[in-house]
Amino acid sequence: MTPHARSRRDFLATAARAALAASVAAPVLSACAGERRPPAPGLEPELNIYNWFDYIGPETIAGFEQEFGVRVTYDTYESNEEMLGKLMAGATGYDLVVPTGYQLPLLRERALVRRLDRSKLTNWGNLMPLFQGTPADPGGEYGVPWQWGITGIAYRADLLPSAPESWAAFLDGSATGRATMLDDGREVLGAMLRYRGHSLNSTDPAELAGARQDAIAAKAHLLAFMTSAVKGQLVAGDVAMAQSWNGDTHQAQRENPNIAFVLPREGSLIFNDYMVLLSDAPHPNAAIAFLDYILRPDIGAAISEETGYGTPNRAAHERMRDPIPYPSPEELARLEYQLDLGAATALWDRTWTEVKASA
Amino acid sequence: MTARRVPYAVTVTAVLTYVLLHLPLLVLIAFSFNRSRFGVQWGGFTLDWYARLAARPDILRALRLSLVAGVASALLATTMGTLAALALARHLPRARRRAEALLYLPIVTPEIVAGVSLLVLFSWLGIGLGMATIVMAHTAFSIPFVTVVVLARLQGTDRALEEAAMSLGADELSTFRRVTLPLLMPGVLAGALLAFTLSFDDFVTTFFVAGVGSTTLPLAVYSMVRKSVEPTINALSALLVIVTTVAVYFADRLARGSTRA
Amino acid sequence: MLLAGPGALWLLAFFLVPILILLGYSFMPRGTYGGVEPGITLEHYRRFLDPLYLGILRRTAWLSLLCTLVCLLLAYPTAYVIARSGRWRNLLLFLAVLPFWTSSLVRTYAMIFLLRDSGLINRILMDLGLIVAPLRLLYTEGAVLAGLVYGALPFMILPIYASLEKLDPALLEAAEVLGARPWTRFVRIVWPLTLPGVAAGSLLVFVPSLGSFVVPDLLGGARQMMIGNLIQNQFGPSRNWPFGSAVAFAVMALVLIAMLAVLRVNRPPAGQGGAA
Repeated sequence: MTPHARSRRDFLATAARAALAASVAAPVLSACAGERRPPAPGLEPELNIYNWFDYIGPETIAGFEQEFGVRVTYDTYESNEEMLGKLMAGATGYDLVVPTGYQLPLLRERALVRRLDRSKLTNWGNLMPLFQGTPADPGGEYGVPWQWGITGIAYRADLLPSAPESWAAFLDGSATGRATMLDDGREVLGAMLRYRGHSLNSTDPAELAGARQDAIAAKAHLLAFMTSAVKGQLVAGDVAMAQSWNGDTHQAQRENPNIAFVLPREGSLIFNDYMVLLSDAPHPNAAIAFLDYILRPDIGAAISEETGYGTPNRAAHERMRDPIPYPSPEELARLEYQLDLGAATALWDRTWTEVKASA
Repeated sequence: MTARRVPYAVTVTAVLTYVLLHLPLLVLIAFSFNRSRFGVQWGGFTLDWYARLAARPDILRALRLSLVAGVASALLATTMGTLAALALARHLPRARRRAEALLYLPIVTPEIVAGVSLLVLFSWLGIGLGMATIVMAHTAFSIPFVTVVVLARLQGTDRALEEAAMSLGADELSTFRRVTLPLLMPGVLAGALLAFTLSFDDFVTTFFVAGVGSTTLPLAVYSMVRKSVEPTINALSALLVIVTTVAVYFADRLARGSTRA
Repeated sequence: MLLAGPGALWLLAFFLVPILILLGYSFMPRGTYGGVEPGITLEHYRRFLDPLYLGILRRTAWLSLLCTLVCLLLAYPTAYVIARSGRWRNLLLFLAVLPFWTSSLVRTYAMIFLLRDSGLINRILMDLGLIVAPLRLLYTEGAVLAGLVYGALPFMILPIYASLEKLDPALLEAAEVLGARPWTRFVRIVWPLTLPGVAAGSLLVFVPSLGSFVVPDLLGGARQMMIGNLIQNQFGPSRNWPFGSAVAFAVMALVLIAMLAVLRVNRPPAGQGGAA
């Protein structure tokens, strides 16, 4: 047989294999391109959302897609800084993101977000008066309040001899090797600043140096720094105590009732997150439709039922079975909002790197 | 080498190495068929986790994107890599050593450096991140591999066949089409399969150049792994391993066939 | 010449040019909230000279070196066995290469699956009654090292195998006839002649280890930083691209040093030729 003929046969065999593979792959490829109704009048056919992990109702997206005929791409992140880093890389293609309040002034200043046309947000009045104008967004012009929450300590009541009451629990070895803190410099250093009675927005080098010392001391007792993984590890019992957010803790509680949450004595942070429309959003009309959609009582209630965070929506709050009550005045006195660190960002970044690099 | 006795300790180390290389993945695959959700107790055989994967639109979408990126970058890289190999082997024997050094440079550059440099490039040019940037990046890191594989095949072929065709009156183009290409085909296909595999499994570069709606399978696995350890990740990992094994097996057979030709 | 054009252009556009832009960025002042501002500065390289960052680089280099050493200890005997395996050779070789093509992420996940508290290793040890409480395996230095070794091992096996295969058996027979003991034969003949393979393998193991950032995150529990994490942070959360670029070039400098070292080993010293 000539080389030519042999390689032709080889080639045919290969082509046959490729065709076979393609026919297997075809259903998979077309599965996503299924029949879809056209978008509602005036809306773009697509919408791109970038949100925190585990921060939405199970049917929120599907319901919107079905009702409005818009296909939603939904991606998630684990920290404000991760999200902002992605935005700063330029042309992301996202329409809606969910920053924490302290980032709003910065985003506004940098013209990264658009002013909302409130006349199109017909459900705006469902918000609690408290959330219709907040320090981060005084006129309620730039963001739709999404959820609020607090950072505290989640723990397994069945695995710890006593309930932790203070951030000191991370320093005194009461859960050595079974404790975790969030993988987020603002959270860890913020907690250590509160522990020493300082503001969690401190830019004072001496106070930050103290927080670094404490954080390094705490690290010796930590299993790991982790954010989204901590729920599963609390449920499994690999972790007995964790710096955690109230909503995430709530989600874990559903799987293991031995998990409890405490607001440390020295205080901690409270956050309001906002869904904002980016300046370069490619699908602004669909985005506005989505913002109005989440302000509906039933949709808002479903989100908070799933996430375990507090809803800023009065109408949603009223129809929930077991809503998270807004903090009492006594609790509020111990809670602090984060602020943008401005020029001190570099010092914070360095301090956090020192904690991470310490032996 | 002749069959001198291999020392006992050497054999033991080699066996240990193979166990280390393959046991973790085999365990992973085995437990993707495990009914019990938590821990590593065996709860019976099930295909449930695969069914769950197939029911997740985000995973199907990620699979589709990975296939698209893999096929597109493999086509581009194979075309350009093959042409480069031909040029190096036939027309520029002298420049070849220097060109080979250039080919190996991308291979020895830490992937994170290449990844962030592409991020900077795309941001600088104002190119939105997404499938297009992923394909561009994957094509770039695949070209050297394709060139090396095809070059190896070229070394095994007989130049005399081409010369015979030319002397019998075939022009350059038809000589290439009727003689060179068929001879080269196993090497080209092997290169294409490897390029596909490199793209299909890539995480680091993709991590930096992916944008909205371009979450490929490895990126999907990453966000799942960061959150938890659960059987659906085992199933997804098993799929990735199996696709890779099949592709590399055929690439290996094709490339090996070349030395026998 | 023209044929090489498209490929060469592509590599130029998507490999060389980006690296050069990165180099440019490393000399530019940082914008307040990310990006760069026009100008030229050495501040990012100066900043890198801080013991904090040098310490991270040193630790990364040390871990990568350790990883290279462990890989060498495992890979040399393996390559030796493959070279001697006769008809099993193709299969063994295929099995040694296969992990190289498998996703690094999947392999890291496999390590988590084995090492965690309720993972397979702890389970087996507890079932055997060897331990009462699970050992802390995950989120340790050891786990990071294991992950690095697991990812890099094939890179070491292949080059060593290639140089062992080229070894002329007649040399060993001659040595044996002349009465050299096995250990002497290895030290005096096999090892020096396979040194180029060892050097190439070491480079291929050392370099990717230098750049890893997923392994310390997932297997080290984000408790420790490698230089890859520092780079990733600067291009992500910290939004300091020029500093990240400078760190990337510090890594490239290490790569260059490693390459030069390998070139030295691979250049046969004068006087040592084929005449044995």
